[in-house]
Amino acid sequence: MAIPSATESLSLALKNRFLPNLEYLLQGSILDTAVEHLMHRLKGLCDNVDTSPETFHDLEVCMSLRQPNSPQPVLLLRVRRALGRDAPFQLRYLGQPEVDMRRPTLVRSCMDCACTNGILDFLSEMGFRLEFEYIAKGYMFRKGRMKITVSKLIKIVPGKQQDMANEPISQSYIVELSVVAPTGQENVGEEMRVFAEQLKPLVQLDKIDYKRLANIP
Amino acid sequence: MSNSVNISVETTCENQIREITYDGVEMYQAPPTLSESLAKCAARIDFSKTSLDDLKKEEKSAAAATDDDKDANQFQESLWPWDSVRNKLKDAYTEICVLSDVISIAKDKRYLVLDPLLEDGDDTKPIVQVYSRKKALSQAAQVLLSGAERLRNAHSEQRSRNVSDFHIELLRLRQNWRLKKVSNGAIIGDLSYRTAGSKFGMSGTFEVTKAEEVMDDEGAGCSTNATSCTSSSSTTNNGLQLKTSSALRVIVPAELQGVAYIKVITQKDQEDLCTAQVNLMGHGPNITAQVGVWQKTLEFAQNVLFCKELFAQLAREAIQLQAPIPHVVIGNQIRATLLPNIQLIISLCHSTSFDSNQPAPINDHDHVLEHSLHQLLREVHFKNSHHPFPHPASAPLGPSKKRMIAGPTAADRESLLDMTKTQTILEQIIAQAQHIFMRKRTQYVLDTLARDVKDPQIVSHWNAMNSPTMSCVKINIVTHGYDAIGRTSLVIHVKERSLKCICRDGRVMKLSYEPQELRDLILCQINSHQISCLVSLARYMAWTVLSNSNHLGIGKVEPLGNASSCLLGSPNSDRMIAVQIRCDPQIDVKVYIARSPRADFFPSPLVPEKFWENLGGNFKEVRFDKIEGKSFLNKMEFLMASLTSNST
Repeated sequence: MAIPSATESLSLALKNRFLPNLEYLLQGSILDTAVEHLMHRLKGLCDNVDTSPETFHDLEVCMSLRQPNSPQPVLLLRVRRALGRDAPFQLRYLGQPEVDMRRPTLVRSCMDCACTNGILDFLSEMGFRLEFEYIAKGYMFRKGRMKITVSKLIKIVPGKQQDMANEPISQSYIVELSVVAPTGQENVGEEMRVFAEQLKPLVQLDKIDYKRLANIP
Repeated sequence: MSNSVNISVETTCENQIREITYDGVEMYQAPPTLSESLAKCAARIDFSKTSLDDLKKEEKSAAAATDDDKDANQFQESLWPWDSVRNKLKDAYTEICVLSDVISIAKDKRYLVLDPLLEDGDDTKPIVQVYSRKKALSQAAQVLLSGAERLRNAHSEQRSRNVSDFHIELLRLRQNWRLKKVSNGAIIGDLSYRTAGSKFGMSGTFEVTKAEEVMDDEGAGCSTNATSCTSSSSTTNNGLQLKTSSALRVIVPAELQGVAYIKVITQKDQEDLCTAQVNLMGHGPNITAQVGVWQKTLEFAQNVLFCKELFAQLAREAIQLQAPIPHVVIGNQIRATLLPNIQLIISLCHSTSFDSNQPAPINDHDHVLEHSLHQLLREVHFKNSHHPFPHPASAPLGPSKKRMIAGPTAADRESLLDMTKTQTILEQIIAQAQHIFMRKRTQYVLDTLARDVKDPQIVSHWNAMNSPTMSCVKINIVTHGYDAIGRTSLVIHVKERSLKCICRDGRVMKLSYEPQELRDLILCQINSHQISCLVSLARYMAWTVLSNSNHLGIGKVEPLGNASSCLLGSPNSDRMIAVQIRCDPQIDVKVYIARSPRADFFPSPLVPEKFWENLGGNFKEVRFDKIEGKSFLNKMEFLMASLTSNST
């Protein structure tokens, strides 16, 4: 019996969906000018509104592992760290999103893992290469097990001072509503849809298929 | 006729000459066929000009234009012959269609209304216009004035009757409580702590209704229950006269009516040591005066709910906990054993009758325990609703901060297991009660010792900042007037069921809750303090320390130390002092002196020479209590001083 190579076993694992967790995701965007209204709405809807909304300021680096002669990367991993805060790095694998018409949300398998700060070096040693990186800065809310982030994506200008030179990618905020739940909890999507309905006039949370976006030249 | 002449008769050239060829032959245009001539005639008809005038004009102009048309038509023969007719008919048809559409829309009267055109001759006189406008304005003014009058009447009536408005009251209620309107028009409120993180199952809904206008049924309202009464002319505890009646009535479910509190008693045998009553009443700003009387009702009901939740939680934990001496839950009472013979009794008191048998105020009210119980349940509520946010934002929601760093810091199984353990409210309150008890005991032991033992002074410093289950005391043992020579200090950590003593030399001792152990320890420390100070004092006075021991091992042997002793030699080594200090159970000092060689030597057969006397002589006990001096060290100083002198 032949011993499968690491790449083979990896792709086998990805195909068979051995990950137990699924991320249910809805996304939308809102203009800078209207984000204040959305914040008020969220403050009214979410838990723990007595304190000011939790802010975050994260740097996300996406690393890819490629085969020498294939254009598609074998594996994409995201490393995220909180800037200005003593928290472990988060390594995240996200599977292919499934846009199932019957489901109210986008569903993808996901895996999170807390790491030390040596993870980037480790991945580089394994042969991963930098795909892209960005800074996400914004606010976080929670409602039950739902996590709502309102974040500004900031482009990193290489070779300049981190804080000064970075500029926002667009004039709007990205709004994400996500739940990470074990496989087989179908009512999560419905719960999220109801919540998204309540934000309706301000922001239209929807399932966004990246594959179709990528095909646009 | 033979020579008749042939005369050729030709028809006149009716046909038009189309072309003359170069050899003079004329080419005629063939006369139009019947259909062609019909088409030509029909083409002349202008369907757009249907009025008679147009037709007449047409006829005139037609004659004039015939010649022109002829030429034009000749060159359009390649077109379909009926083309112009068809076009005109089509135009006419389009117009008819539009007209019919307009008519059908106008018939519907939703989008279009047909109005007769105003004839120009209808001009009104300006004076008539002014007059009609004036009349319309005065009518409008009349409506407004009558409305204002009605409003003013209603307002003044309300003020004179001093009846508070239901809606104003509802507004105030809404500012302080959660209300919602249900389908059948009733207003339901919620006074539970569920939004603050409580998971208690009991519902805390109440109903808001409008109080009946008639005062007669006030008695009926009161008879249902005291709390749901609209409380006409009620007086609050601080003697503030409330509004005579409230337009709003709140109906609280029966199980939340009345007054409830939780009584916490620590009992030794049958004697109460301390008592705490948990009652939310009187906490927070008193807003009853500004808002309606229902505020009080709701606060009472909420307090009942809080107490019930607290007790239910404690009772559940009491049953689940595996204590060495099992906790007992009987009815409204939980009994837990703190220390041998000392019990903690937590009971829920709920009385639905007002102020008839209010419990007498308890003097030794334990505010700390009361506060702790509050705080503990609030903490549970808080933890239920406040989960830490993950950082970075992609991290999963839920695990605590400690749990998040467990992976990167390679936490072992032990520490992971520790994270899963949480103390229940009952465990915490028992621990706190035990600690309170231990602290009191330690204080008592130290105070009585300080009172009883005068010679070295025992000074204890309690830390002002304590945790609920740990406090710390520093003990200094000094002799008055000899502070510079020596000071013994030790620190005692008072925990829940044990004490931890840290001595100056680094020894750490763990004591149980028995007060005797602490007492023994302090006495031993006094012993060793006296001896060590004596040793230093002897050095100052040029005496030699021949030996000393902190643990002689004689007398009653205690685990932490016993009698200690010291042997001193005079500067010219002709005298010796032996000191023994025992502490069973009182501090007992014995001092012996010896002199060698003796001043007077008489040779005997056994001791023939004087130098044998240098081996040492007999010790004689000094009557220490008769020696001059305020303290042990003071007396020893005098003794040494007197023995140093050469005079005998």
